Amino acid sequence: MSYADLILRKTPAWLKFALLGGLFLFLLAFPRIYPKSYAMGVMCRILMYTILAGSLNVINGYSGQFNIGHAGFYCVGAYCEAILATRFGITFWIALPLSGIAAACVGLLVSLPTLRLKGIYLAIVTLGSSEIIRLLFLNGNDFTGGPIGIKNIPSPYIGSFKISKSVHFYYIFLFLAAIFFFLTYRIIKSRVGRAWVSIREDELAAKSLGVETSRYKASNFMYGAFWAGIAGAAFAPYFKFISSDMFTLDEGFNILSMVIIGGQGTLIGPIVGSIIVNFLTEFLRPISQYRLVVYALLIIVMMWIRPQGLVGASNSILASGRIRFRGRKKSAGETK
Amino acid sequence: MDYYLSQLINGICQGSIYALMAIGYSVVVGVVGLVTFTHGEVIMLGAFASYFAFQIFGNNLFLGIVASFAASAFIGIFVYKVCYERFFDAPRHISLICTIGVSMLLKNLTQIFIGANNFPLLEIIPNRFFGWGTVGVTLVQIIVIVTVVSLSLLLFLFFNKTRWGVMLRAVSQDKKAAALMGINVKLTTLAGNCIGCGLGGIAGMLLAIYYQTLIATMGGSAGMKAFSASVLGGLTDVPSAALGGLCLGVIENLGITVSSASFRDIFAFIFLLLVLLFKPEGFARKKGVRP
Amino acid sequence: MKSVLLEARDICQYFGGLKAVEKVNMQIRVGDIFGVIGPNGAGKTTFFNICSGIFKPTSGEIFFRGESINGFAPEKIARLGMARTFQNIQLFKFMTVLENVKIGFHIRTKTGMLSAILRDRQYREDERFANEKGIEVLERVGLMSFKDTLASNLPYGIQRKVEIARALALDPKILLLDEPVAGMNPIETKALSDFIIDLNKSGYTIAVIEHDMKFVMNTCNRILVLNFGQKICEGTPETVRNDKGVNEAYFGKGIIAGGNS
Repeated sequence: MSYADLILRKTPAWLKFALLGGLFLFLLAFPRIYPKSYAMGVMCRILMYTILAGSLNVINGYSGQFNIGHAGFYCVGAYCEAILATRFGITFWIALPLSGIAAACVGLLVSLPTLRLKGIYLAIVTLGSSEIIRLLFLNGNDFTGGPIGIKNIPSPYIGSFKISKSVHFYYIFLFLAAIFFFLTYRIIKSRVGRAWVSIREDELAAKSLGVETSRYKASNFMYGAFWAGIAGAAFAPYFKFISSDMFTLDEGFNILSMVIIGGQGTLIGPIVGSIIVNFLTEFLRPISQYRLVVYALLIIVMMWIRPQGLVGASNSILASGRIRFRGRKKSAGETK
Repeated sequence: MDYYLSQLINGICQGSIYALMAIGYSVVVGVVGLVTFTHGEVIMLGAFASYFAFQIFGNNLFLGIVASFAASAFIGIFVYKVCYERFFDAPRHISLICTIGVSMLLKNLTQIFIGANNFPLLEIIPNRFFGWGTVGVTLVQIIVIVTVVSLSLLLFLFFNKTRWGVMLRAVSQDKKAAALMGINVKLTTLAGNCIGCGLGGIAGMLLAIYYQTLIATMGGSAGMKAFSASVLGGLTDVPSAALGGLCLGVIENLGITVSSASFRDIFAFIFLLLVLLFKPEGFARKKGVRP
Repeated sequence: MKSVLLEARDICQYFGGLKAVEKVNMQIRVGDIFGVIGPNGAGKTTFFNICSGIFKPTSGEIFFRGESINGFAPEKIARLGMARTFQNIQLFKFMTVLENVKIGFHIRTKTGMLSAILRDRQYREDERFANEKGIEVLERVGLMSFKDTLASNLPYGIQRKVEIARALALDPKILLLDEPVAGMNPIETKALSDFIIDLNKSGYTIAVIEHDMKFVMNTCNRILVLNFGQKICEGTPETVRNDKGVNEAYFGKGIIAGGNS
């Protein structure tokens, strides 16, 4: 595993970009290569969960805040789009960003009382918030569809072209994921990203250096919530039907397990996590009730052997506090 | 007026069950020193253990208590080995995520191997009512309250008058100092964890008897309430946790009189938020656990 | 006389029944190297924590550059120009030395989310600023050879210097150092003492908590002595050396101390 870290560190930036570019081109062409609609369905799920896991990783992995209620923001985004489309006839292209903004506002609401909380206290509050959000939508009667949910969510249109097939949504999710990673990459590699990481690594030191930790924690939460909302808003017309039991705590743990297994604190981590967990979902279809058991075991095993996740940030407090390069501590700058 | 009075009585009764859950939780967190997500599932498994005891041996309350305590304490050993033993010196979030994993594991294994449906548990305690008109207490409520009070007394005597109790209290305050005094910290921590889990198990049995039903997913809400109630005591102080449980029960039951029953769980959350906003460290006499 | 930079008036800090700091008065002037000494548990670090905003004093007032900073958050006080280091070295263990120092430039840069996304001029300027100034600070402190080393891989003495470098990145009006020479041998101690005097000559006002008497006497121009949370003396090294109360605090009143009891 430590070799993976070495490899990641030594690859020059241009090579990484070239590989990513190549991957993106491959994904663009993928539906031509393998046009089965079943595969499209799986790819849509993987791409959507990449955004969900990625946005959770921004919160948990980059600023170190312990959020396990991400399903709540996903729920807000999905319901927002569904309600705007079915009750108000608003087109998908406007409902999408609006839902993201709605989710971001909810994220701010959840974040505000928790700014001084840490660890499990923060985790429990996010857990409770997620459930309350879901319960509110469940009990919203006709406006939110109540226990029945919202059906017949209209498909988006580009001009007169109806976006209804899996392959169409594949491209929507692909572009949303690409935009998400591009924007997130730019933010992480800036003063904002450095502030977030400083809060994760040592909040007291960060404060003493002038980092306005409350403001950055809140903005981080809002950013993560925004993208979870976007994912939800894209999911609603894709699945054409939503109801509150799609956004339970179990769903939140599903997203969390992708981040934990794939890796926290790096951009690739959630991608790997989404791929692994969603592939497992497919492989385990014959024994689907064991699916969550497998995730649980993976989480436990990961905590035992590699707490930062498969390709997570080894150089951080997220790892178990020890960095081992081939058995002895090695710095990034040593060449011998 | 009658309605509010009977809701108050319901509140005190449910509050005592919550108090027992919270007491168990604070014992675990206090002695082990690590916060956990597994208490809800431990409570649920205790409930199921008592269910099977009642199926096999009839409505013997004492056996139910023994079965639930033993089963949960046993699960406690598993939780200890997987989530706590190797993480005492690691960053806190690692053991915490591990407990999330174990809680998922226990819940889903129970759903697979025992069943995901509601299991009815009717009339373990005969339905008798003592009161005037619509206001009064049922036999179930009396027995629940008596059980919790007796257990609390037993726990108090245990912690203050026995050698093991002193060892547990020492370990909960300072592990290194306890080790220097010759206390086997590992064994004591394990024992404290199992005792706390066992108490949770009995609380699970009481929940099952009171609601006359149990289901594998009851752990989530139970764990959340145990946590919310213990926060009042900084997660480690037992008497404050008990008080928190009582308050929570009363607030919940009075709260649903002004809204609807489906918002019951929201009150636990509001209670938690209020305590966290105004007194985040709780009323702990010793410093609360590091989050 | 130079103007007062940091002033404490009747500062008290009670933790429940414990009187950690009791009616402490202090004035640090611009250009001072101000020492805070006292036996263990005297309340020195608590006092620093009050100055830098980590604790809110139970009573009393703190003034920084003439403005009351009571109850200000640490980040706000840092922005006003106070930087500090910690007794148990709070470096970002998993970042390199340069990355650690770059966090120190947070206050002096402005890039927000939008600028980061657009990579506009603000972003480019800030990145260049942070990198260039970071190298400057490291050169000044003599840490260039460790630029890309992970902080946790450094020897203890170098870690302390990194923490100081990071604090300098704020370009502070006053630098608070909490036990900067703890754990250092006499040669390292002398080197750091020279370094601090050098910094002072470049215009930094510095306050130091220390146990090492020789270091304090040689480096500081004014000293505050605390014992049991109370001020027992404030003045030049000469004054402090000859003060009866100080001698009693360190050496007691017994025969060994030269007393009569």
